Amino acid sequence: MEPNSAPNPPQWATWLLHLLCADHLMEEMDGDLEELFRQRVKSVGIQKARFRYMIDAFSLLRPFAFKRKKNSYPQPAYHQPAMLKNNFKIAFRNLWKHKTFTFINVMGLSVGMSACFLIALYVHFELSYDSFNKKADRIYRLSTDLKTTSETLNYSISSWAFAPNLKNEFEEVEAFTRVTTRNFLVRNGDLKFKEEKTVFADSSLFNVFDFELIKGDPKTALRDPMSVVFTEKTAKKYFGDSDPMGRTLLLGDDGVPATVTGLMKEAPANSQIKGDLFVSMSSYTERFNKGIDKDWGAFGTTSYLLLKPGINIEKFAANFPPFIEKHAGQMMRENKMAISFVLEPLLDIYLHSKREAEESGSLNNVYIFSVVAIFILLIACINFINLTTARSAERAREVGVRKAVGAARSLLTRQFISESVLLCIIAFAFSVLLSAVSIPFFNDLSGKSISTGILNNWQFVAGLFSAALLIGCIAGIYPAFVLSSFDPVVVLKGRFTTSVKGILLRKGLVTAQFAVSIALIIATIVVYKQVNFMRSRDLGFSKDQMLVIHGDTDKKRNAFQESLLNISGVKSTAASTNVPGSKNNEAYSEIENAQGEMQSGNLAVYSVDFNFLQQYDLKMAAGRGFLKSFGSDSSKALVINEAAAKMLGYQSPQDALGRKYKQWGREGTIIGVVKDFHFKSLQESITPLTFRFLDFWNGNLLSVKIEGSNVKQTLTSIEKEWKAQNPEKPFTYYFMDEYFDRQYRADERFEKLFLHFAVLAIFISCLGLLGLASYSTVQRTKEIGVRKVMGASTGSIVGLLSKDFLKLILLAFIIASPLAWFGMHKWLQNFAYQTDIEWWVFVAAALLSATIAFATISFQSIKAALLNPVKSLRSE
Amino acid sequence: MKGTYLGEFEEIVLLAVAILAGDAYGAAITNEIEQQMGRSVNLGAVHASLHRLEEKGLLSSRMGGATAERGGRSKRLFTVTMAGTRALDTIREIRNRMWDNIPKPA
Repeated sequence: MEPNSAPNPPQWATWLLHLLCADHLMEEMDGDLEELFRQRVKSVGIQKARFRYMIDAFSLLRPFAFKRKKNSYPQPAYHQPAMLKNNFKIAFRNLWKHKTFTFINVMGLSVGMSACFLIALYVHFELSYDSFNKKADRIYRLSTDLKTTSETLNYSISSWAFAPNLKNEFEEVEAFTRVTTRNFLVRNGDLKFKEEKTVFADSSLFNVFDFELIKGDPKTALRDPMSVVFTEKTAKKYFGDSDPMGRTLLLGDDGVPATVTGLMKEAPANSQIKGDLFVSMSSYTERFNKGIDKDWGAFGTTSYLLLKPGINIEKFAANFPPFIEKHAGQMMRENKMAISFVLEPLLDIYLHSKREAEESGSLNNVYIFSVVAIFILLIACINFINLTTARSAERAREVGVRKAVGAARSLLTRQFISESVLLCIIAFAFSVLLSAVSIPFFNDLSGKSISTGILNNWQFVAGLFSAALLIGCIAGIYPAFVLSSFDPVVVLKGRFTTSVKGILLRKGLVTAQFAVSIALIIATIVVYKQVNFMRSRDLGFSKDQMLVIHGDTDKKRNAFQESLLNISGVKSTAASTNVPGSKNNEAYSEIENAQGEMQSGNLAVYSVDFNFLQQYDLKMAAGRGFLKSFGSDSSKALVINEAAAKMLGYQSPQDALGRKYKQWGREGTIIGVVKDFHFKSLQESITPLTFRFLDFWNGNLLSVKIEGSNVKQTLTSIEKEWKAQNPEKPFTYYFMDEYFDRQYRADERFEKLFLHFAVLAIFISCLGLLGLASYSTVQRTKEIGVRKVMGASTGSIVGLLSKDFLKLILLAFIIASPLAWFGMHKWLQNFAYQTDIEWWVFVAAALLSATIAFATISFQSIKAALLNPVKSLRSE
Repeated sequence: MKGTYLGEFEEIVLLAVAILAGDAYGAAITNEIEQQMGRSVNLGAVHASLHRLEEKGLLSSRMGGATAERGGRSKRLFTVTMAGTRALDTIREIRNRMWDNIPKPA
């Protein structure tokens, strides 16, 4: 009978017996069971024999045989300190003996762990936004949906009147705070700065949110008009080291005196309310913008409600429609609009809210980077498994000897696992160092102060340590089982060959690694292409050598404009309320459409002077721009863009000319249509836009076109002129091109982060490849020697050694490219204007990875090919 | 005193060990009993009895005699001790006496 086809007893019964019965009884019991089984197979047949075997096995499960019974042999303790110590000692010696492998392993693992660690910090930062507030689960942002006749606007802001009245009328509201950020001039003697983050807030700010007040009473600090709370940094700026409490400074363009009533710690980096100084909201509603809190239609503040515990939000929200109707019903009907409230939980705002915000996170990015982190760690672990199993031949003899002198398999398994745990702990130590060093760069790269230092994230370090132990165990299990399973007789005879299964597995893992790397390369190229596309696309207006100054309005501005024209290097100037890339104002407008009806809606509006269209080099599609020679242009004319003409239903821009419009108290006709230009970032499509002439009270953005090469000198002259005319105001300016491109900063960051992690992934993969290649060339030293003796050229040997690996990379490419295409296609959907994913992207990624891999392999293979065959064949 | 009383199955196992003289181990004993008694016996029952008999000092055992048939595993070979032989003798005497005491049918 063939040994393979010999009938087997039911294995599970044996297993159960071994599980429950004392080890020293197993020998005789197993023997008896098997002997009886074989006899019975012959006498009564397999079926009955199996049944009897089962019955016998069960019948052996008796009290006398159970494990709790004391063994007649002393059983060694499962964990013996001496054995453990010995395991680690052997592990350490082994790692030391194979320095290259250890180096590659530790390097790959620690880089992978560091990448993971940093991404974990990032993800935690994004997910924990605003969660430092103890009452965060009860805080809601009161957002507004404003429905006009043509559209619904989703505001994150509300009117100043909403929150206080809600608090008055509903007992569910425990407290509210309104937060308005303005750009305010602050003066203390000669020190004067435009403070972009001047935050007006209600006195309850410190009750609702957990900002730490160092000095001052949190209950009253922001109560009275003209009280200011400084953050430590700002206080230092104005008062140096002296105590700011009770000091007076001047606020706003008119210099209203205000008193410092508090000193607070800087808001945490993951707070959506950030400010350099906090001014009492009463200063705003009673002084700077008096009566604004009585106007139910004036939107402009963010309101937060703190609800009492256990309030049902849906029930509470049901009160809103009658509330709005009661207070603002008439106003809404007069203005043909409808207001509705939306309560957004504080913790959801940063990542989930689609409404406009100063800072918003991207849940997508959190997902994308989590996946990238897992991939990188996976690649590192694969390296580890690959390198360890590849080296199994070297350890085979050791295993054989150990087994021959009586090591149990479990003991060997433990030894190999402790080896891999040791390796992971070493990698952990390196990765902590690496992370500590790279945290500042990472902060810079992500544009967020994600970590202030590794010591402040000790929980993460602890987490990393346990992760390292876990990785050590998990990644070590497979090699440990493979290594400990060797049959000592076969191994010691020297007939050891690597199994086909093991080679296949290793190849599969390398393919997986490279598939991930190639996908990341493709993604990086596409992201880079998209960002580049956005930066270099013709926007339809001129943004080069354009300076934008935050200036004055009306006569003061005109005088400044006049004087600028005398400076050499200034070509022209133009005043406006908005410039491309700035926030867009919207105006309720009624314009005659193609059907002759007045179509109403909220449209983006630029108030500009005569020079604006020309200076920004906007092309007319039909009609003309604003001209001084037409007296009525400054009060009756409107210019729209092509998108607006299309929205109104005109076939050609020409048809829109001469049509009637009403907007913000002006009536008149359309005099021109400009060609579409990108006044918003390329993430958004071009929307309808109207141009109207400046009012006397607005237009404080002054665009200055500079010519000639000496920009610096021209800028100095302009600044001098500004200081002469506005001694009390700081000179604030920016360059148009930089200003516009600032909108892509988030994407650039994304690009950079992606690039770095892709490089990391490839680096780690290549480490693994290097290890594997060097191993396989060592294995084939003799073969190469023989081939050389028979006349093979160096080139053909390098080719022979590289071919196998390049095949794997080709396979990886075939797997990775459709996945990468799909992922990036989805990502590009976020942009209104997208670059194409062209075929060369894939070719480039394939070539790049193949080149890198080839370079890595050839490092080893050339060395092997150049080796003198006399040397490689001599030793036996 | 422990060891004086023998159960029916114990007695049979002890007898089987004596019959097999020197080559008595679990599987062989099971086979022997099955053949002699004409009924199927669980290996577990045999092992349990052997264990008890050894505890009572009626049997002694040593490991040895691995064969290919049992996958190269050793047998636990049992031999009847002096005490075991005496116990068997005692039982036999008692039985004989009792048989003798049955009144002969007329």
